[in-house]
Amino acid sequence: MIVADHVTFQYADSSDPALKDISLKIGDRDFIGITGTSGAGKSTLAMALNGVIPHEFKGDFYGSVKIDGMDTVEHQVEDFCRKVGEVFQDIDSQMVASVVEDEILFGLENFGVSHEEIGARLEKALDDLGIAELRTREISSLSGGQKQKVAIAAILALEPQILVLDEPTGELDPESSREIFGLLRKLNEEKGITIVIVEQKIKLLCEYVKRLVVLDKGSLVFDDVPGEVITHIDMFKTLGINVPPVAELSHLLRLDGLWNGGITLTVTEAEKMVREVLHDPV
Amino acid sequence: MNLLNYVPGNSFLHRLNPITKLAAAFLYGIACILCDSIWMELAFIVLMIAICAAAGLGTRALRLTRNLLILGLFMFVLQLFFVRTGEALVTIGHFVLITTGGLTSALLLSLRVVATMLPLMLLFAITPMNDLCNALVKKAHLPYRYAFIITTAFRFVPLFSTEFHEIQDAQKARGVDFETKNILRKMQLVAPLCVPLLVSSLEKVNSSAISAEMRGFHLRSRQSGYKEYPFTGSDLLVFVLLLALVAFSAVFL
Ligand SMILES: Nc1ncnc2c1ncn2[C@@H]1O[C@H](COP(=O)(O)OP(=O)(O)O)[C@@H](O)[C@H]1O
Ligand SMILES: [Mg+2]
Repeated sequence: MIVADHVTFQYADSSDPALKDISLKIGDRDFIGITGTSGAGKSTLAMALNGVIPHEFKGDFYGSVKIDGMDTVEHQVEDFCRKVGEVFQDIDSQMVASVVEDEILFGLENFGVSHEEIGARLEKALDDLGIAELRTREISSLSGGQKQKVAIAAILALEPQILVLDEPTGELDPESSREIFGLLRKLNEEKGITIVIVEQKIKLLCEYVKRLVVLDKGSLVFDDVPGEVITHIDMFKTLGINVPPVAELSHLLRLDGLWNGGITLTVTEAEKMVREVLHDPV
Repeated sequence: MNLLNYVPGNSFLHRLNPITKLAAAFLYGIACILCDSIWMELAFIVLMIAICAAAGLGTRALRLTRNLLILGLFMFVLQLFFVRTGEALVTIGHFVLITTGGLTSALLLSLRVVATMLPLMLLFAITPMNDLCNALVKKAHLPYRYAFIITTAFRFVPLFSTEFHEIQDAQKARGVDFETKNILRKMQLVAPLCVPLLVSSLEKVNSSAISAEMRGFHLRSRQSGYKEYPFTGSDLLVFVLLLALVAFSAVFL
């Protein structure tokens, strides 16, 4: 469990805080999405959740982040970096090895997982992400989606309770993005791993996450179930966050009093809505 | 294509211990340096290509040889005009341009450069950097920190070149013409790109360090490595053969 309490953080060479008074509770088995425009502070928040901030970045840190009761400022990174694993935004530079299996072994070796256990952990991590056949491949030869899975496997092998991912689908096509979300849901449901995902794709977030946090200029503006957050379409538009056109359509129909159902997120849902509005059943 | 990347495979060369490969490449190079015969240098080059061909790396060896020959040609030209021993071969009026001594020493030097460099370059084709460093940490007690720096440097070279091309493309999109043949003009265009490249490189190195740190980098010790790199009979055989080759080259060639 992570509890962020009135967290404010300002990078050393910056004139404005990147996070302003953020309070957030992340419970066991949660599946939380964090969204917001570029520069809203999503990466900064993600890094504050596992102590990378303030340990690895200089700046002024106020408030507290507690991981299972341990204050991140008072403890060393290695005390909690296995509990809260993070896949960072820049996928290439976080890799430490050139071959897939070496990448996954790296953390296992460092944390002194016994050599009897290490092979099994490696294979399990590969299997969990369905990349067993990539084991001996060069990372540089992999596709974006495959690299992303390798990065996740490398963290997953360390058996974290909480997995933080910073825009893992940022450079992926819609199909691979969905695949990643599907994998995360599986990890969440079957292994009980808490997932915190930074993501710009509202539609995927609404479909998969249990809770959606919206940041704007370092402040937390929403923290609720996606179905509730998405009803504030006007707010999204003022913040400059893209919402699916079908969601906007249902929103406009609601404003006009023509529709009193929920916000639609898929074309199929929207079609149903439009037919209902037009009294034109299939 | 990158001529220094690893070529996956399971040939007799691939299966050797990484340390054996490194030592063998150096010993072969030493043998070439000790050798003073043009024909034997040629033989060394051909032998190296043949060994690689037998391991399925023929094309890589040939392409590397071709590239090294270009370097060799440069050395050849320099040496040709600098060494002035022996008899006059080409004269312009009273001025002796090329001598027999110049020609032989230029040929020998350039072939020697090619023969010496070839095995070292081919080392990369048969050895994943990670394995080499891990083996050096385990067997040669190289501090892991250094091993990590070496592997990281190698990994980052292609990343930087992608980065450079991305920045260049962004500039092209703004109408900067990089296709110019004029070297001075080209340098003028490329120089300003170095700053953003340096900044983003430093950022990449920093985030790489953080990622390593978050996965327990500084807890690592020499015993941490999971993979073992045992020496086998074939490693011993290779050592013996190459030491013999060096001795032979030192005494007879
Ligand atoms: N290392 C840094 N040093 C100084 N300022 C930074 C650094 N990283 C991010 N920032 C600034 O902090 C703010 C939030 O950045 P970030 O958390 O990366 O946003 P997001 O991930 O939502 O795009 C931005 O204004 C950005 O310029
Ligand atoms: Mg970000």
